[in-house]
Amino acid sequence: MNCNKAMVLMSAAIDGELCPKEEEELAQHLAECPECRAEFQDAKKTKIIIRERIVRVKAPSALVESITRLTSITF
Amino acid sequence: MLTAKKHHMKEKKQILTAQEQLKQQEFQAEAVAHINSLYNYALHLTMNPDDAHDLVQETYLKAYKFFNSFERGTNCKAWLFKILKNNYINKFRKNAREPGKVDYDLIKDFYHTIKDVQSDTTEAESDFFHSLLHEEVYQALQSLPEEFMEVIQLCDIEGFTYEEIANMVESPIGTVRSRLYRGRKLLRAKLEDYAKKRGYDTESGE
Repeated sequence: MNCNKAMVLMSAAIDGELCPKEEEELAQHLAECPECRAEFQDAKKTKIIIRERIVRVKAPSALVESITRLTSITF
Repeated sequence: MLTAKKHHMKEKKQILTAQEQLKQQEFQAEAVAHINSLYNYALHLTMNPDDAHDLVQETYLKAYKFFNSFERGTNCKAWLFKILKNNYINKFRKNAREPGKVDYDLIKDFYHTIKDVQSDTTEAESDFFHSLLHEEVYQALQSLPEEFMEVIQLCDIEGFTYEEIANMVESPIGTVRSRLYRGRKLLRAKLEDYAKKRGYDTESGE
């Protein structure tokens, strides 16, 4: 496997979306290629940083109440 | 007589059939549980708390109406997201943003509106990823072409599987996979640019 193919697989590997055969191929390449190992670490970090840095808010209580009302009395 | 009849009808209306009650209970447990995720998704799509509020409300009304068609055992959150997205497209299609165009003022305002809920970062790590601000990561994400931003949002932020995302964006799984790969590559380059501007040396830089 070349590095380009490995890069494509890395993205899916991070999400746990590789089939066993692809997983094996990627693992084999990573074992032989230090550049791709470093790249894999960075790719993992990118996913984490997105998850950590994107702010999550709670739905306003007025909205929650209105949904609860809508689905418990009107129908 | 008439009043009594009316009163009787009113009472009858409020008494729900056992089946309806069961539907309500199930809806509360299955669907209303995802309200925070839906609200966040709506906020990111509309960038406006009022529009997000309306969008979520309409989504739940529609979802309740069609709850019988929800396939039990499948991911309810994914089903709700799809309804919300369709609602959004129908409602805001006219004002759809140009791909890759970012309104930085809008993002600033948006973050200003919700900043009270941001938690301060306390990590002592000094690599470039950790130097990035919430706003920068958000700007970088928003600057991606929509088809890339969408899959990254659904996968990394909302945690949907490729199959669920494929169903939501109505594309094959292979397309989702390649969009994620290409989108992340672009995003990574943008994040590195931000980090460089802040004086961080990115290891993989030229």
